Amino acid sequence: MHIDFSPELNILKLDNVGVSLHCHHYNCGLIKAIEEIEGIDAYSIIVKAAQEEFYYNFKNYIVSHLSKESIDEQIKVAVELYKFMGFGIIDFSELRENGGKVYSNSSYYVTGWLAKYGRRTTPVCYVTCGFISGILSAIFKKSVSAYIVQETRCMISGNELCEFSIRLIE
Amino acid sequence: MAIDSKKIIEIASKLQIASNEKGIMAAFGVYAAMNYNEFYFKVVSRVIHTLGDLKAPTVEQKLYNAVLECGYHTFHGIRTSMHWREHIIPMLSSPEDEVYALVAFTNIFGIGYIEIEELIPNKKLVTIVKNAYDPERYLIEYGKQPYGRCYMFSACTASYMDLAYGEKYPKGIGTFEAKEVSCRSMGNNICRFVAER
Repeated sequence: MHIDFSPELNILKLDNVGVSLHCHHYNCGLIKAIEEIEGIDAYSIIVKAAQEEFYYNFKNYIVSHLSKESIDEQIKVAVELYKFMGFGIIDFSELRENGGKVYSNSSYYVTGWLAKYGRRTTPVCYVTCGFISGILSAIFKKSVSAYIVQETRCMISGNELCEFSIRLIE
Repeated sequence: MAIDSKKIIEIASKLQIASNEKGIMAAFGVYAAMNYNEFYFKVVSRVIHTLGDLKAPTVEQKLYNAVLECGYHTFHGIRTSMHWREHIIPMLSSPEDEVYALVAFTNIFGIGYIEIEELIPNKKLVTIVKNAYDPERYLIEYGKQPYGRCYMFSACTASYMDLAYGEKYPKGIGTFEAKEVSCRSMGNNICRFVAER
């Protein structure tokens, strides 16, 4: 992972793609604001945007840096990327190409949401769902929305881990 | 003492804002995360586009409030940090200096370069941004916009004034309100934000 900063423009690039740093007040506030709007499916909008961005950017990263690496190595780099961006720890060891489970014992959105709003009864790791879906499609060379990811357990509700169920639909 | 924005950016950009062993980035009393600019654009623009121009201001007001909290708490965390005390406070001699310093410090987060056009102490702050990410994307994806889309910079502009001239933290939030008076997404050549009481 390589970060470039242009001080004259205040532009940050992660492996040549524009990124920005935001705090939990905004990142969690963004989810909450969208969830509160009647007629808007916050989950779908956030997951789709994350899915697309992680798919396109990781696909390019694979072409530039990982084309000769094994699937396991590509997944290892994806896990490092997730951690580097501050989203937490994620474990793909029980996942196969056609799906399976992914676990997380440290989640940015759980940490941030707890700090700002406290517990909730429904999962909050929407961005992680999009991340998993996009990354897997890039690694296994599928279409952008080939994987359906659902957070089946979330630490925000008092579970020990966040658990994601992944299903290949094409 | 005049504030040397370049020096502040140089000092701030040397800070190690990095994830810990749990993949969490804790800095200045907040939890930070890095994400693609295009991710934020897609989420917000798709919500706005789905709602239409009549309903969109409601969600944009909520997002403004979220950023206001973000800016107010993060910038307070910054101005009470050891780093600020060591490197920035020696440059400050007035609340106006603090506003200039906070604006400069904002220019390490990757959101586009914000600078002060006008500051009337305790009354008004005008900031400008020439390279915000979203306006150009709105023009490309949705065409010219009926009003400004940079709620993020509006809220930041208000938060600087809240911290410098509002009641003592944490009661001063919302003392100032900011509006975007011109935006590149509307066809203007610059994004401009005005915060007033």
